[in-house]
Amino acid sequence: MKKIIIYTILALSVSACGRFGNEDKKKDHEERIVVISKQYNEIIYALGAEENVVAVDVSSTYPPEIKELPTVGYHRALSTEAILSMKPTLILEDDNIGPEHVITQLKKLKIPMKQFGKYENTIAGTDSLMREMGRYFNKEATAEELCKKLDSDMKKALANTDSYKEKPKVLVIHFGRASNIYLVMTKNSTAGKLIEWAGGEMAVQGDRGMKQFSPEVVAKSDPDVVLLTDYGYDKLGSMDGIADLPGVSTTRAFKNEKIYRVEEHDMVYLGPRTGENVLKLQELIHQDEKNQ
Amino acid sequence: MKKTSSRYIGVFPLLSIVLLIIVLFSIRYGAVSITLDDMFSAIQKMTSGEEGLNLTERIFMEIRLPRAILCVFVGASLAVGGALLQALFRNPIVEPGLVGTSCGAAFGAALYFALGATFDFNVGEYTLPLAACLGAICSTALVFFLSQSKQTGKSSVVTLLLVGIAINALFLSGVGFLSYIARDPQARSIIFWNLGTLSGANWPSVIIVGTSTIICLLFSLRYAKHLNALMIGEEEAQFIGVNLKSLKWKTLLINVVMVAVATAFVGVISFVGLIVPHLLRILKGSDNRFLILNSAVLGGVLLCLADLLSRMLLRPAELPIGIVTSVVGVPIFIILLQKKNYFF
Repeated sequence: MKKIIIYTILALSVSACGRFGNEDKKKDHEERIVVISKQYNEIIYALGAEENVVAVDVSSTYPPEIKELPTVGYHRALSTEAILSMKPTLILEDDNIGPEHVITQLKKLKIPMKQFGKYENTIAGTDSLMREMGRYFNKEATAEELCKKLDSDMKKALANTDSYKEKPKVLVIHFGRASNIYLVMTKNSTAGKLIEWAGGEMAVQGDRGMKQFSPEVVAKSDPDVVLLTDYGYDKLGSMDGIADLPGVSTTRAFKNEKIYRVEEHDMVYLGPRTGENVLKLQELIHQDEKNQ
Repeated sequence: MKKTSSRYIGVFPLLSIVLLIIVLFSIRYGAVSITLDDMFSAIQKMTSGEEGLNLTERIFMEIRLPRAILCVFVGASLAVGGALLQALFRNPIVEPGLVGTSCGAAFGAALYFALGATFDFNVGEYTLPLAACLGAICSTALVFFLSQSKQTGKSSVVTLLLVGIAINALFLSGVGFLSYIARDPQARSIIFWNLGTLSGANWPSVIIVGTSTIICLLFSLRYAKHLNALMIGEEEAQFIGVNLKSLKWKTLLINVVMVAVATAFVGVISFVGLIVPHLLRILKGSDNRFLILNSAVLGGVLLCLADLLSRMLLRPAELPIGIVTSVVGVPIFIILLQKKNYFF
């Protein structure tokens, strides 16, 4: 019985992803690029180089207009035929795709695949990636602008951070869609970096990027602010729903009603809007200091 | 006796024709459409040793064709495994994974996904099937070992069944634990593997699974008559000269090899092994000689059909085949159960 329920939920959740049904509106394009990376996709759109992108992975959700493109599925559960049906002349991927046999099949069929350089997960690294992609798509000038904007946003954000007296403890909760469970992001994740830049402190340590959500973890960390990613926040629906997450209702954050919704695609990778996102985070987590 | 054999005669050719048609459909349709012309020209080019297949022809030769054939072999393996075990245990709810095989395989695979990177053990694309196969062998061996009675040194069929259920639960909780500690993408891989997928099919896997299926099927047919005797009762079977102990071990061994090899390459596919033999029993009768041979064909038909649907329903995305086998199989099964007065 349990199995049948799981199957039904899985089937429904897959069919709920209406983006599989998106029509291919770029049929006449000679160059056809399938991009399987959230970070690459955001940069490509920021560069204005999306002309020949014909399909993306289902987790690429920024910018909003990307949702008009057909998708080839979840980046760790790709299907060879789904990709081939887009007639790609190039696949861009960031070395985080699977399953293994799909990559083998694509290589065997000699579909060109490309990764850009691997840079550090820092602002400087993001600048280098944007410059490389700018060169690749002949958009060097735009890339330079993006880097400039990112650097200046970050400068502004870090200056703000220096002026803050408080360092609120922030708990970031992410809804893991693989097994429908809540996860907490640790200091070692990209979200951890963003919070640190925004002048906060991650409530949870840990050598991996994410940890299983448990009442003890939450209670022990006693955060001043709780951030929930969009999907999880919307699923719980309201503060009452969030209070039902074990451990949350006893935290300072809940008592002071400092529980906010953040976009998942703002928190899990660095990109041209990272500076902006840090500024947005500062507004959320340092509200008290602003009002004083 | 003559009368009973004649009622079975038409079934095999009929099922074989259905199988052929389904396989053709399965090759023809998918996210990428392949016409009969593409198929012919690809085969022509391959046989004449000509180079330069175009993309559609390569998809046909390297993805679609091996996938369809693998489907047939895996379906056959699971269904024959089910028929054998149902006969051996004289119990209708038995499926081929019952003696621990598929849960062990799932555990081996989960171990590979969750911790594979930390072990210095890698044989390329065969690492996963090997891990799953080793898991299957370990769990099945454990079931056999634990079901031996300490006093008599013998194992009764009932003990085997119960120990199998217990060990299955144990290994499943192992899978649960591993997906609990795994990172998000790894947990995702474990879930998908446990729902089965044929998208990894290639010629080496077809050859390996095909060899095991054909050899095991031939052996199964040899023991079908003895299994028929066993259906009447253990004592009756011994009375007409069946060596019960050897029959039991041989049947179990055949089942384990077939199911372990098939599961290792495609993941856990439930339900096929359970319903195919029942469908045949409902439609015709329960002579094991008839059941085993036709289970092989009908298993292939059912799995091929499920695979076709799994590729077509959400085109271009693919549904895990485990979902489809249940969704397609359950209604047919229930309707037939209600229509006929069915005795096992």
